[in-house]
Amino acid sequence: MRELVLTQPGRVLVGPSERESESCRSHGEFEERLAECGPLAFRVAYGVLRNAADAEDVAQEALLKAYRNFGRLREPARFRGWLVRIAFRMALDRWRSAKRREKRETEWKGPERSAVGPTVEELAVSSEFQERLERAMEELPEKFRLVLLLAAIQGYTLEEVSEMLGIPMGTVKSRLFFARKQLAEKLR
Amino acid sequence: MNCERYKEKMVEALARGEGAVHGELAAHVRACGACREFYEAQVDLFGAIDFGVRVMVNETVPASLLPGLRARVAEDGVARQPRGFTWGVATFAVVAVLAVSVCLLRRGPGNSSRVVDRSPVVAREVDGPHSVTPRQPQVVAAAPIHARAQHEVAMAPQVGAAAPEVLILPEEQAAFIRFVTDLPEERKAAVALTQPATEAKDEAVEIALLQIDELDLKPLESSNQ
Repeated sequence: MRELVLTQPGRVLVGPSERESESCRSHGEFEERLAECGPLAFRVAYGVLRNAADAEDVAQEALLKAYRNFGRLREPARFRGWLVRIAFRMALDRWRSAKRREKRETEWKGPERSAVGPTVEELAVSSEFQERLERAMEELPEKFRLVLLLAAIQGYTLEEVSEMLGIPMGTVKSRLFFARKQLAEKLR
Repeated sequence: MNCERYKEKMVEALARGEGAVHGELAAHVRACGACREFYEAQVDLFGAIDFGVRVMVNETVPASLLPGLRARVAEDGVARQPRGFTWGVATFAVVAVLAVSVCLLRRGPGNSSRVVDRSPVVAREVDGPHSVTPRQPQVVAAAPIHARAQHEVAMAPQVGAAAPEVLILPEEQAAFIRFVTDLPEERKAAVALTQPATEAKDEAVEIALLQIDELDLKPLESSNQ
């Protein structure tokens, strides 16, 4: 019986042992990036969610998703930007579902909730301005919001943000400009 | 320029992150009390925004982040093992179906001898360019083909254009090879799938009647009343 295979030129079939070593190598590379990228994913998620436990969970989910697909990443240099986008998107999804749940609960037991005031800790941690700022940030377009958050993370320059997101430096500056201007308009 | 325009310029300068205003704008701020007051308020506002956003993102990273992630990666690895096997089985099934269909094509009524038999094509080309060749199923293969067959493929490209192609992805081939080599107990199944199935005749099946030895029927409570 004739072998009925049309192989692609230049492709080499990978054996099980080679595949395992490939997997180990990609696992090692992923581990190397964790030290930097783990905190980055957490901070992006925290910037959206404003809750450490939720942000940690989202960051872990984003990193897990990144880990699963790490071997398939064509450009490992783009890993940071890729992870940041995953974390940001997941955090937004969680924030939206939390908002929907909160809205449902408010509608369901509105009079009871209004009787309960904020705790001392809440009052201490969240000033009126910070709350207004958070609300204003929630209304920002996503692309402006992500650039604003990344630019505010300690240790990252605008060049790094540009590189991370794969967008020109001019675009980063312009998004930052519009984000800050819109925030000022809302908070004035 | 009026004061409103100057105020817009001030806001834009601060939004760009410029620490101070320059030139004509700076001169106006120095001269106009209302604009100076507005400028100072805007400096404070942008400063508060920057501070607030920095506070928002520079939260201390919990120490449990990476250990927790490693645990989840380990769990995920365990959970995903059967899934990979399922994909392997699915790939094998696709390859097996392709192999069976190729076998059926080879044994079809119009092709009693061989699937790729190009000698008539060569003979007809000598007769004239407009001669009609019968349509035959054809298999395009990148695997080693003997020299005559390669020559014939080059001589008769018009037949190949109308004939069906069977393309097998390298990943599928690799999965099939791995399956056959790694799972010796499945080898029989692989071989069996490449053979045409024997026609089975329907036979009547007799089912024995259900028999209950003892049947205790109790009256319902409501019927006693």
